[in-house]
Amino acid sequence: MSLPAGLHLPFFQHALIAVLFAGCAFPLIGVFIISLNLVPLRFAMMHIALLGGAVGLFLGLDPMLFGLVFCALASTALGPLSEKTKMGLGTLSGFFMTLTLALAFILFSRGKINVLQAFAILWGNILSLNFWDLALAIGTSLFIILVVFLLFKEIQAVLYDREIALSVGLPERKIYYLIVFVLGITVAVSMRLIGALLVDALVLLPAIAAQMIARSLKQMFLLSSLFGLISGVGGLFLSLAVDIPSSSAIILFASLIIAICILFQRRLISHVKNA
Amino acid sequence: MHHSVELLDIHVSVEGSLVLRGVSVEAKPCEFVAISGANGAGKTTLLKVINGTLTPDSGRVTVLHQDLMNHPNPNLLRREIAFVPQKTNHHRFPLRVGEAVLMGRYGKIGLIRRPTGEDRAKADDAMRLVGILPFARKLVSELSGGEQQKVSLARALAQGASILLLDEPTTYLDAPSRLEIMETIHAMHHERELTTVMVSHEPDWVEQYADKVYLLKDGVARLAT
Repeated sequence: MSLPAGLHLPFFQHALIAVLFAGCAFPLIGVFIISLNLVPLRFAMMHIALLGGAVGLFLGLDPMLFGLVFCALASTALGPLSEKTKMGLGTLSGFFMTLTLALAFILFSRGKINVLQAFAILWGNILSLNFWDLALAIGTSLFIILVVFLLFKEIQAVLYDREIALSVGLPERKIYYLIVFVLGITVAVSMRLIGALLVDALVLLPAIAAQMIARSLKQMFLLSSLFGLISGVGGLFLSLAVDIPSSSAIILFASLIIAICILFQRRLISHVKNA
Repeated sequence: MHHSVELLDIHVSVEGSLVLRGVSVEAKPCEFVAISGANGAGKTTLLKVINGTLTPDSGRVTVLHQDLMNHPNPNLLRREIAFVPQKTNHHRFPLRVGEAVLMGRYGKIGLIRRPTGEDRAKADDAMRLVGILPFARKLVSELSGGEQQKVSLARALAQGASILLLDEPTTYLDAPSRLEIMETIHAMHHERELTTVMVSHEPDWVEQYADKVYLLKDGVARLAT
């Protein structure tokens, strides 16, 4: 299909709008993940979504919706639960990761569910978004941007050092819980957009590239948004131009940006420094 | 005289074992109090009790004449207690020195609000006093250990608190830097009329600066000087 023809297709337009918003906003969450080392939590969210999908299928309801609801509930509960149990968030995430997987498989077995149908939640398709998916992606993106904009200084202190944030008199725990909550919601919505296995393309990879050259948190947020936007839009057009899966194309773009940052790290840092 | 900090018969358990067994410590306004003890004696635990990040099993904690343990909003009181940790955790985090010092103002600025010109002026004053103003635009991670510790001191100063808590601020420094940091702390203490509580595992080292030294051993503090 030619590029101009593709631009007129509604599914492509939906995908383009989704990556314009998600490409800008979701990498901001990647900055949280890197700074607070929340990678295990991200993995746990994927498995929790799978359990949600299994419950949905077991009950004969929308598995995607249940995946989202389970992620929202888990991201609300995990922060306070880790404090109560005095287990670190990483350990608790590992625990939930295996427990939810076990429960999901029990449901698959008992409910005689087609496993492939349940695992569909793990690989979304950005070219198959309906109106509500799009609304969800835009709403989540605006929420993330609003949180980062309004609470920038509080987030900066918590990401830098939670002990310092607490000692200067900030409500450090509430900010941290908010970060965990936004992360859970973002991972869940990303799964719908590009699939759980490829969440990193929109969330983590742009932030990794930004971290290499940023000289301040503000720069890290702005650069990760820029890189997310370039990889999202670029990947989408590349997938249309050469007919490859869009999620893979987005990852290729994000990886290319990381490679450029690695190769030209020193020069890029001096540019950013002078900017 | 009323005390700025008063701990009375404090008992604290950490992970099931009793670390502090009836500790009583007091610091008058503008007094420099040192608490000395071996590693693992519970010095950091004691500081956490004073700034309200750890609640004791029993006893009474009074800070600036207010009952910290039953305070309706400990965050408000914590804004009056500046804390300097041994070391910050996040070395690769992209944070400029000026931003790190301004962070001391965040609690007082209030949620969502942006720092004002006055907040920035106070951060600049603090950097000037500890001698790091020329590094304001450098990344904290680009500084030496001693300079990073000065950033923590400047942040504490910028906070504008009347109580300064120091958790072994010279532990990871070489001898010249240690002396420089202690002189800076001493100058801060006098210039800003702070009530300073510092913990250290070297009693000889802190004696020359402190008005009063407590020795913390076997979970109990006794006055050494």
